[in-house]
Amino acid sequence: MAYSFPEEVLEHVFSFIHTDKDRNAISLVCKSWYEVERWSRRRIFIGNCYAVSPGIVIRRFPELRSVALKGKPHFADFNLVPDGWGGNVYPWIAAMAMAYPMLEELRLKRMVVTDESLELISRSFKNFKVLVLSSCEGFSTDGLAAIAANCSGRFSEESRISSFDLLSFATFFLSNQTKRYNRFELKPACEVDIGSPISLIPDFAHHWCPSTFPAWPPRCPSLRTLRLNRAVPLDRLPNLLRRAPQLVELGTGAYSAEHRPEVFSSLAGAFSNCKELKSLSGFWDVVPDYLPAVYPACSGITSLNLSYATIQSPDLIKLVTQCQNLQRLWVLDYIEDSGLDALAASCKDLQELRVFPSEPYDMEGNVALTEQGLVSVSEGCPKLHSVLYFCRQMTNAALVSIAKNRPNMTRFRLCIIEPRTRDYQTLEPLDVGFGAIVEHCKELHRLSLSGLLTDRVFEYIGTHAKKLEMLSVAFAGDGDLGLHHVLSGCKSLRKLEIRDCPFGDKALLANAAKLETMRSLWMSSCSVSFGACKLLGQKMPRLNVEVMDERGRPDSRPESCSVEKLYIYRSVAGPRSDMPRFVWTMKTPS
Amino acid sequence: MGRATNSSSSSIDSSSHPTVSSASSFPRLKRDLSTDLSLGLSISTSDHHYCPSTPREQQSDWPPIKTLLRKALAGEGNKCNDATFFVKVYMEGIPIGRKLDLFAHDGYHALIRTLDHMFSTTILWAEVDGVLHSEKCHVLTYEDKEGDWMMVGDVPWELFLTTVKRLKITRVDKY
Repeated sequence: MAYSFPEEVLEHVFSFIHTDKDRNAISLVCKSWYEVERWSRRRIFIGNCYAVSPGIVIRRFPELRSVALKGKPHFADFNLVPDGWGGNVYPWIAAMAMAYPMLEELRLKRMVVTDESLELISRSFKNFKVLVLSSCEGFSTDGLAAIAANCSGRFSEESRISSFDLLSFATFFLSNQTKRYNRFELKPACEVDIGSPISLIPDFAHHWCPSTFPAWPPRCPSLRTLRLNRAVPLDRLPNLLRRAPQLVELGTGAYSAEHRPEVFSSLAGAFSNCKELKSLSGFWDVVPDYLPAVYPACSGITSLNLSYATIQSPDLIKLVTQCQNLQRLWVLDYIEDSGLDALAASCKDLQELRVFPSEPYDMEGNVALTEQGLVSVSEGCPKLHSVLYFCRQMTNAALVSIAKNRPNMTRFRLCIIEPRTRDYQTLEPLDVGFGAIVEHCKELHRLSLSGLLTDRVFEYIGTHAKKLEMLSVAFAGDGDLGLHHVLSGCKSLRKLEIRDCPFGDKALLANAAKLETMRSLWMSSCSVSFGACKLLGQKMPRLNVEVMDERGRPDSRPESCSVEKLYIYRSVAGPRSDMPRFVWTMKTPS
Repeated sequence: MGRATNSSSSSIDSSSHPTVSSASSFPRLKRDLSTDLSLGLSISTSDHHYCPSTPREQQSDWPPIKTLLRKALAGEGNKCNDATFFVKVYMEGIPIGRKLDLFAHDGYHALIRTLDHMFSTTILWAEVDGVLHSEKCHVLTYEDKEGDWMMVGDVPWELFLTTVKRLKITRVDKY
């Protein structure tokens, strides 16, 4: 009999092992390690809420304290998933309420969270500390009020609700605090996100204003993050900043007012007092005259989100070049090539750049932003590894330069706004350019393609992109061979999302086994037939093959007819039972 | 059922498509795509996505930007502040009431000015001195969330906005 450590020793050793991958690996060593591990696991991440059922999770991990769940597929962000698709968190909450009374943290992304769910959370978990809802929907202030009423006083540093439907959570939170403690003292909430930038319930958003609580923000030395609603006017900002000089992250409200010197100097003074400020965002309706007020804080800024700041390149340049320690910049394409040149010259620590289109539906460009801007940044910023870039033209040569300049690239997402755009100099497809990216950037784990692309680019990707985990493809390829290259070549692929490509049945069926090694595959407006979906569903019991079609039952059309949308994911929970009328799952014959 | 190569030539041509009415730039994109697709496809699957007659303007799924940003950019010049909060206003003795957008006013003074105008009278409220004239003077009151009738002007404007349900202008002598 092999000598083995007593369980307590194993448990102690395992307590130093935190990442999911490592813990999953330990649990495969032998039965006793599996047992010790499952009893000692405290946090879990479930990338697809339908891949497993609450019951299965609870049976295996009886002592969880922290749960993270993701619901809808990524393309839901771009309106490709119809309403009512699913991802309701309630069944999870109901099950966990019974099984994990000591649950402390819940992190949800792209899930439907109803008020009922929030109320249940607020009643069920006495030790609840962290709630993070990102890109979730379905709740209102009623649900948030329940959280505030029953959980307040216990919310920890990390609680964050940042969602399209976010309402003035903090208002309720604060008002409940003051009611409960009868003092204007906020504790211990450290992140207060006062309304989403675009409020869907404007009446509520307008109700919050610092004058409602005259001494607000009260002494709240633990407040680290404050993001204001667009409705909060600029002249309130100095006062707020003076009360919370220890802020690390600030999202301004509307950044506009008539130019008044006393407001300006008050604002500048307030900013120079904020010595810990690292992140700035907001800048709604920004008036350039007021931008210099933030200059005193710029040397400490590492993250700047100007996605809503509709100011022109010269003003952007002045601001950005003040931030010598900038690591992350999100900005509109108003920055133009000249702004990106300046960025490349001043911000040598830049790691992440996102450039969004100011006029996404305008086919002719409105700004002087080209591939050159991205090339400059790739040349000038040695630490740049994460890029999201919207533009209107590109060349293979530029992509090759970028690839050679930045072999450390890990995330590269390029969106050339007009689908199927060629290299404007050579009129060739952009296969070679993207090929260079995957060939030189060996650590690349996320890639989004655009422009005119043939099957060749997929051959390059299949050959070189061995660490690629997520690939997004739109309006690309010639036929099945392209898809085959990706599925057969990309060893690390976990998520593949495809829209409007001529990929059909053959590649999918030939690589069916690969799909079980991935989290999910999304294909919409492609050429996969209903017959192939049925076949896949029959042959692969551990895959859920879901056909989405708003035209009606797929079997009311010939089997050779293509399905509208296809979502395939591995699951140990079998087909789901909450599908709306436009989703059909291809069942395995029992 | 692959894409015909003529789909790539159409993407060059699409930039020279006749420009559509300036009503919105959005339908232009849809028109181009539907041309691309109808050249290459023999199946009907995707057509309805790009049918120009589909009037779902903001239901766009290309380019891939998140809803939040899309709305922010679309709303350019159309600020968040155009949210409205209409309340009913009754003047005593007049059975037909009016409606007033409280959000269109930045404080009590603006509100009183509008009401003075709307009802051609002098409105008294909390900030006015206690001297009450008998001719053509009215007092402004509001019904709060608890159903009580209160004089307008005692609480900060923003707090008022959270509790007001409707307004009433009563004659001074009755008050």
